[in-house]
Amino acid sequence: MALIETASLTKNYGTVKALDRLDLQVEPGIIGLVGANGAGKSTLIKILLGLVPPSSGRASVLGLDVADETREIRKVVGYMPENDCLPPDVGATEFVTHMARISGLPRTAARERTAEVLRHVGLYEERYRQIGGYSTGMKQRVKLAQALAHDPKLLLLDEPTNGLDPTGRDEMLDLIKRTGTDFGISVVVASHLLGEIEQVCTFLLAVDAGHLLKAAPISTFTQRTPVLAVEVEEGADRLTAALTGRGFKARQEDQCVLLVLESETLYDAVRDTVADLALPLVRVQQERRRLEDIFREPEQGLEPAAGGAQ
Amino acid sequence: MSAGNRLTASSPAGSIYDLGYRHYEGKRHGRWYAAWSLYVESLRGVWGFGRPMSAKAAPFILAGLYSFFAFLQLAFSSTLASEISSGQQVQLFAYDSYFTTFSLLLVLFCVAQAPEVVCRDQRYQVLSLYFTRAIGRADYALARVASLSTALFLALIVPMIALFVGDVLMKPDTISAIGDELPKALPAIPADLLIAASMASISLALSSYSPRRAYSAIGLIAYFLLMEAVPAIIYAVANHGGWSSADKLVLLTPITSLTGATDWFFGKALTSDYPATLGPAAYVLACLVSVGVFSAILLFRYRRIAA
Repeated sequence: MALIETASLTKNYGTVKALDRLDLQVEPGIIGLVGANGAGKSTLIKILLGLVPPSSGRASVLGLDVADETREIRKVVGYMPENDCLPPDVGATEFVTHMARISGLPRTAARERTAEVLRHVGLYEERYRQIGGYSTGMKQRVKLAQALAHDPKLLLLDEPTNGLDPTGRDEMLDLIKRTGTDFGISVVVASHLLGEIEQVCTFLLAVDAGHLLKAAPISTFTQRTPVLAVEVEEGADRLTAALTGRGFKARQEDQCVLLVLESETLYDAVRDTVADLALPLVRVQQERRRLEDIFREPEQGLEPAAGGAQ
Repeated sequence: MSAGNRLTASSPAGSIYDLGYRHYEGKRHGRWYAAWSLYVESLRGVWGFGRPMSAKAAPFILAGLYSFFAFLQLAFSSTLASEISSGQQVQLFAYDSYFTTFSLLLVLFCVAQAPEVVCRDQRYQVLSLYFTRAIGRADYALARVASLSTALFLALIVPMIALFVGDVLMKPDTISAIGDELPKALPAIPADLLIAASMASISLALSSYSPRRAYSAIGLIAYFLLMEAVPAIIYAVANHGGWSSADKLVLLTPITSLTGATDWFFGKALTSDYPATLGPAAYVLACLVSVGVFSAILLFRYRRIAA
């Protein structure tokens, strides 16, 4: 059964088209939903939850129609909104237990599940303190915990790393990855940061201005766009020119030269060129942020907006 | 031996301490359970349970003050009893006039606690968590009204019980005193139910239109003051000028109507402050209509509100 299916799903806010005839078919897994702010990520998630009715078209989650079977969907879906959504004057335990009960869990089960999910998201002694005194990272954990409390089959996370410092972001991403792989819960992670998506997801949906830009397993992206980043302290422009002259696709970005890694000879060429030009080399690395190229440089061996859904 | 082997085979050593993630296979209730859970949580919230001490101050002080005089009478019931038996006239609080005398304290209770019930979820955007769960928007609104109604009913009924106990203790024969007092006291139950439902629906409907507590509280004060004074003044002037249908305006007042309705439950005649043209039953009807109208306003608000 498909996790998410949409057929010419459209949502208009007045004259603004938030989603424009979106066709999707997504299998269970950890799905990254990438797009710039305002690309339609949140709108899609809200339609899947039945919070916002679509203007036209259909959508279904786990085989349940969003218009007719909203209640059934909500029973098996956990939602972590983008914005703050926690009252400050209660403790995390009290709040998550309450939310588990609103999801239909009996009192004792709600308590047990709360203790369990709070432990999973890494809240220990703090969990009895009032949420108002929590750091942003702890609040994000509580938001994730309340989404997990009723053991959903699908988690919809809207910008889960918002406002987190690098350490907090890595921890949150690790949590998401564990939720998807160890707990066997499908996850949709909406984010505008491609680097994050790449770290945790198995499948990528890229949306832009309400259109589907690309939908494919993450491995196909990494196969298609291996990029080598060569950082030098100075003379990046000379290096770019020299390598382009030797027939490689190169692009300069600050003190970095990004090269499309098409053959093994590139490594030798980089070594020789750097040595010839006597440049102070800092690092040579397979670029981790390479997915960003699908937005920035579609001509670099990537199919632009290839044929909608897979 | 074989049992021991099976145990080790199926549960590796570390798993005793770390059970890992376990899926929930138990029962899942539907929307009614969700609404009930919200009702209970909300009722606890009105009284500040599960919240810091400061959240308990306002409801307990105001409800405590409302009950105070009934308990004072209870405390002095033995003294009063001896005064009554010696033939002295004693001014006592009665079931049918207690609300009329101290209604201001309950208005303040609503002003303090109604915003707490509905503004908090809007202010901190908790609604998006509720409305993506089993609970429906109408369920949410009705559970909130029910919880504040219950809280008000508790605040209303406690002094009635104190009065009842006091009145019974003032009489020498307890058993027959209960028989005498009970019929007099029982109309307090339906009357207090109506008062609670009416005040709760009015104050929640108005509070729900602002996410800020302060604005909601000011709005409530304004509503209760203006709607109490303006129709009464217009009636007084118009009645003097001979506009005969101005008496209907008095039905718009929230508290005056409620005290009129209370008189109907206790079978009392209305005082001369009320228009002579309308009987107490009209005020009962007016209060029931107000419950319906303000509940509808609240439901409408939650049908449209963005989650």
